[in-house]
Amino acid sequence: MSPLYSQHIRNLFSKQKFNKLSRKQIFLYILGICCLCIALIVTNHNYSLYKKPIAEVVKTNVVEKNKSADLNHNKDTVYSQEIVAKIMNGKYKGRLIHLENTYSYSGAYDQKYTVGTDLFVSLEKNSQHVLNGTIEGVKRDKQVTAVAGLFILILLAIGRKQGFYSIISLFINIVLLIGALNVYLALGNVSLLAVCIVAVVLFTVISLLLVSGNQEKTHVAIISTLIGTFVALLIAYIVMQLTDSNGLHYEGMEFVTIPPQKIFMSEVLIGSLGAVMDVAITITSSVYELYEKNKEIAHKDLLKSGKEIGGDIMGAMTNILFFSYISGTIPMVLLYLKNGSPLGYTFSMNFSLELIRALTGSIGIVLTIPITLYLSILFIFRKGNRK
Amino acid sequence: MNVLLLLALILFILMSMVGGKKGIRSFLALFLNFGVIFLTILFMLSIKNTIIVTLIASTIISCINLFYINKFNHKTLAAFVSTIITLAVLVLFIFIIEHHAMIQGFGEEQEEEINAFSLYVGIDFAKIAICTIIMGAIGAIIDISLSISSSMNELFVHDPSVTKKNLFNSGLKIGRDILGTTTNTLYFAFVGGYLTLIIWFKRLSYSFGDIINSKTFCAEVISILSGGIGVAIIIPITSWISASIFLQKREKANHMYK
Repeated sequence: MSPLYSQHIRNLFSKQKFNKLSRKQIFLYILGICCLCIALIVTNHNYSLYKKPIAEVVKTNVVEKNKSADLNHNKDTVYSQEIVAKIMNGKYKGRLIHLENTYSYSGAYDQKYTVGTDLFVSLEKNSQHVLNGTIEGVKRDKQVTAVAGLFILILLAIGRKQGFYSIISLFINIVLLIGALNVYLALGNVSLLAVCIVAVVLFTVISLLLVSGNQEKTHVAIISTLIGTFVALLIAYIVMQLTDSNGLHYEGMEFVTIPPQKIFMSEVLIGSLGAVMDVAITITSSVYELYEKNKEIAHKDLLKSGKEIGGDIMGAMTNILFFSYISGTIPMVLLYLKNGSPLGYTFSMNFSLELIRALTGSIGIVLTIPITLYLSILFIFRKGNRK
Repeated sequence: MNVLLLLALILFILMSMVGGKKGIRSFLALFLNFGVIFLTILFMLSIKNTIIVTLIASTIISCINLFYINKFNHKTLAAFVSTIITLAVLVLFIFIIEHHAMIQGFGEEQEEEINAFSLYVGIDFAKIAICTIIMGAIGAIIDISLSISSSMNELFVHDPSVTKKNLFNSGLKIGRDILGTTTNTLYFAFVGGYLTLIIWFKRLSYSFGDIINSKTFCAEVISILSGGIGVAIIIPITSWISASIFLQKREKANHMYK
């Protein structure tokens, strides 16, 4: 790190306040914990909100246990489970129901149920005295609420005000994304990419304004983020055209309901946006901070420090994207390989799309560094308050 | 020419132009990381205790990203120790969550893709789910811990007489400043990968209740939130460990001086 950058960091320290919790903050924390408790109680007792019958497991019994081996000599154990559960809603509320379940040691697509689990069930109408039914799925809403509540509490406890702003911006981003997809589905004839481009502009403007306020460096960060993301997307598009999409395996894509080529570009665009924004904001803050501290700083020195900071964050940011994309493929790759699929085939079916996503995002990140740097310097020196 | 190769070539040229030698090291680290993940998967095919495999893999990945890109010194050492502690805490946390939320393996939305395969393959997919979540967040966790420890080191160099408490508080402050952008980065990266899933839910008109209880959706949400929790808890952990390591170094130096 350059001495100038150190200067920036030292200033960061001198500004800090070692504040203790004020009465207002304590009140807000208690309020937050109360909200969480209420949410947990509600999700634990919301059975009547569901139309589907829900049953809580009260007794389980393993009736059969078989060793299995498949064509590729994978050994597993398959269990049969008899379950007695109590119906929690609807007209049979309070009555017991008998269910059967088969599960394996692997649990790739099945599940062992234990006492206390809430299950969605479908009832068989023909039986009069003893209710029978089949398991449709697991009720997971209270677990998700608990994790979300814990996330919010930890972010507030550690992040304080900044934690609060991150939760707000996360929330706005979720609402925006759902809104954008609703618009896309409602309009019907517009391309997803066009909707995503508009959404990306909104995401960028709102998130960055929220994080660093309405000031010149935020404007620079917004412009650089947009240029960086779109240029990266353009590069990916040109590369795909040049190579006739050789090596792209859309067959490996999941949950596809519309032509995959269209959706892939939109995914790449949204996926890299967060990282690119992060880079733009780090560079603008550092460059502006350096300038504020030393208004006599030479053009050359500012550029040099900026480049150094860029080099420092480049590796870390590309890694974040890379890991979050690749990690999701692990279960599927294991399934392919265990089923005797050749390594090369497994690789291209599962990794090619994810790697293209990660590479395009990384190109966006790296491009954004010089774009942000030169734009910041351009804005600073354009102001004319320098002699 | 293959799309992947051409994009990798473009990235290499850009990284070496913008970042110089460090850029080239970062580029190589990406491939080393991919190699580690690939080897991890191969090991998981035969080794039953996949959690141990995950922990060893995360240790190697931390070594690559901290010691190879940034060289071995007390800054990267502090970041390394904090990363390992955070990951261990996170593994325990996800283990408990996974047990209750049952998000392992594949959801019914993936049925079409997996129905050609034998599903009784003898791997405990609950442990694989833990591995998946840890690997998804490890990049962000390493990034935050290094940012905090190197900024704390800058302060320590400029003010060697700083008290441990002040140094710790400074670490928290730096961490808070980057918390928001990092959780945002994770959010967009995950959402980008699951745009199709959200459209699927909308197309097939899932109700709110269907979505919030579906395995695929829950797995996704829990991944993002666990990553966010990891990114938050590493802030105090790194601040404390860096403060301890830096001050220990000072005491050692003082002792020798006397």
